[in-house]
Amino acid sequence: MDIGQAFTFSALASQFLVGLSRAMILFIVCSGMSFVLGVLRVPNVAHGSLYMIGAFSAFSIASLFGGSPTGFWLALIFAPLVVALVSLIAERALFCHLYEREHLMLLLFTFALMLILGDLVKLTWGAEYRSIMAPPFFRGSIPIFGSAFPRYNLFLLIIGPLVAISLWLFTNKTKIGKISRAAAVDREMVGAVGINVSWVFAAAFVIGCYLAGLGGALVAPTVSITIGMDHGIIIEAFLIVTIGGLGNMWGALVGSLIFGLTQAFGVLFWPQFAIVFPYAAVVIILIWRPTGMLKSVW
Amino acid sequence: MKKNSIWSIIIAVLVIIVALVIHYVPGPPKIVRAIKVGIIDCYSGPPAVYGKDALNGFKLALDEINKEGVLGTKIEFTTRDTKFKVDIALNMAKELVMRENVDVLVGTINSGAALAVSDAVAKKEKVPFMVWISKSERITGEKGHRYVFSTGENTYLAGKAAGVALSKKPYIKYWVGGDDYSYGHDIANAAWRNLKALKPDVEMIGKSWWKPGEPDLVPYLTAIMSAKPDAVIFCTGGASMTNIMKAVKATGMSEKVPIWIHTATDHAVLKPLGPEAPEGVMGTIDYHFYYPETAANKEFVKKFESAYGNPPGFPAFHGYITAKFIAKAFDKAGSIDKEKFIDALEGMKIASPAGELEMRACDHQVTLPMYLGVTKMSAKYGCVISTDIITLTGDEVMPTCDEIRKARGK
Repeated sequence: MDIGQAFTFSALASQFLVGLSRAMILFIVCSGMSFVLGVLRVPNVAHGSLYMIGAFSAFSIASLFGGSPTGFWLALIFAPLVVALVSLIAERALFCHLYEREHLMLLLFTFALMLILGDLVKLTWGAEYRSIMAPPFFRGSIPIFGSAFPRYNLFLLIIGPLVAISLWLFTNKTKIGKISRAAAVDREMVGAVGINVSWVFAAAFVIGCYLAGLGGALVAPTVSITIGMDHGIIIEAFLIVTIGGLGNMWGALVGSLIFGLTQAFGVLFWPQFAIVFPYAAVVIILIWRPTGMLKSVW
Repeated sequence: MKKNSIWSIIIAVLVIIVALVIHYVPGPPKIVRAIKVGIIDCYSGPPAVYGKDALNGFKLALDEINKEGVLGTKIEFTTRDTKFKVDIALNMAKELVMRENVDVLVGTINSGAALAVSDAVAKKEKVPFMVWISKSERITGEKGHRYVFSTGENTYLAGKAAGVALSKKPYIKYWVGGDDYSYGHDIANAAWRNLKALKPDVEMIGKSWWKPGEPDLVPYLTAIMSAKPDAVIFCTGGASMTNIMKAVKATGMSEKVPIWIHTATDHAVLKPLGPEAPEGVMGTIDYHFYYPETAANKEFVKKFESAYGNPPGFPAFHGYITAKFIAKAFDKAGSIDKEKFIDALEGMKIASPAGELEMRACDHQVTLPMYLGVTKMSAKYGCVISTDIITLTGDEVMPTCDEIRKARGK
């Protein structure tokens, strides 16, 4: 393709919007991971598996209602709750006993959890592709700047900022949010003040996993819901959280934007090697700012 | 002589006598052992649906075959999961050959794995290997040899069918996009090679490659649409098929630009999509459970559905004919001998749900037809199926034996 063709305003604008909507999904998933990382100081390797369970749960709920719009909206509400419940069980039954242990133990535990959840998903839902549909209102595309832009992606562009604002309000304006932020900075002090740190951790973990489930439920109508989803997303999530600044929610937003936009523009300028662009961006950022773009929590 | 020396001689003589007895005196009558088939395939992740389908077709045929038996014994099988990885496939294949002593190896879906096993295990250990889903033309083409067979279609056949179909259309500017692995590139090269040969004025205005299984293909499609090609060729494999169909529908691409994708008309892809499958997409495949409506096909479909609850896909069809070929070849060979099996298999013809099929002697490839169709919603099946089907017979799409010989460098 001639490079000249890539620079039409219409092409650039539509790629920008597509990249932005992809970044929104990444942000929702990564903000959860960042939150858990900030408070518990543990990178949750099972985050991708929870994202996958969110997508599969959304499929099950939507299928219960025959793929109707009510099914879709109910799936969006309840699938993340299912994931939150799964994570709560994992946390209270097993994880919380490991908090005093070495850091590495927690990481290994999340890795084991990823493997177990992956197989549980296969046992529960089977190996086939699943698919759900967005409500009729979200199907099809609308012409924006002369290019077709899928309506569902427009919906994502609205949901993303909503989640960001809700999360900000939560961490800054609610009591639990402020306690979580305090625990992220100095957990001993929080315990000394008389707050049950164990329950703070549980709450933080569940909220982070809820976000993973929400990301999975939101992405479900746009992709095939398969068993490999967890591996695909977890690498990207780790990279985004790292380049954004560990534990920093706004960092997750910045990282997601970089990732989503470099991929979308890479596709436009150099389609054969488009896969490389986001990772090249990650390398450049880490060389320039090894601790991430924004301040990390620790 | 000393006493010790006498004892040594006596023991040595006894050992020799015992050895001679064991060698020459006939033992108890040998029980004819079962024929062992070792299956390596992917049973985890997105490709698992195809591996399972093939295994089901294979088992269905075995149930029929084992009722009468072959050479007075039964055919048994054992499976190993390759997880779509080449190194695991190699280890599993070696284990099946060395430890389980299988007579025939069967599998797999990953073309890279099939090529590796064909070279490192089948050729080296001289064990016949029948490939049933992998579609790289190199398996029976340039990398083919005496010990590898294919009961599935490959990128050469698909490419030729694409060339034949697209050369009849007025499109000049093409965009090619696909999964960045061997199957994706093979099918792109095959389709383009044939199209360019039949219609020299076609032009490739751009290429896009994404990682297999890439979940978000929308940015690629919007970029392609911005370039305004006349038509698009997509080269997606099992991992990305559903994603590309969804993205095509979401961006409305199928209504704006003509698209051809090999296996777009595969039921395993179209059924879960339901009404979200795009219409108007051109596709090729070598088996439909609903076409042609011959008695043999209908019977096969009925038996499969009552056994497994869903209609057979093309992997099930390949699995079924693989079992039939194995049984008939051992029967003709007269004994469980690998070399005699291969000799019997060459040129063998069997009856199948799609009519009579031949295992070509020159390249060990089954002559399969190609069905070219366009996707359209079917009220009868509640999902999108292939319509306006044109059948290209095996002879029209297969490479000639001379081309094979040249490719293998003979």
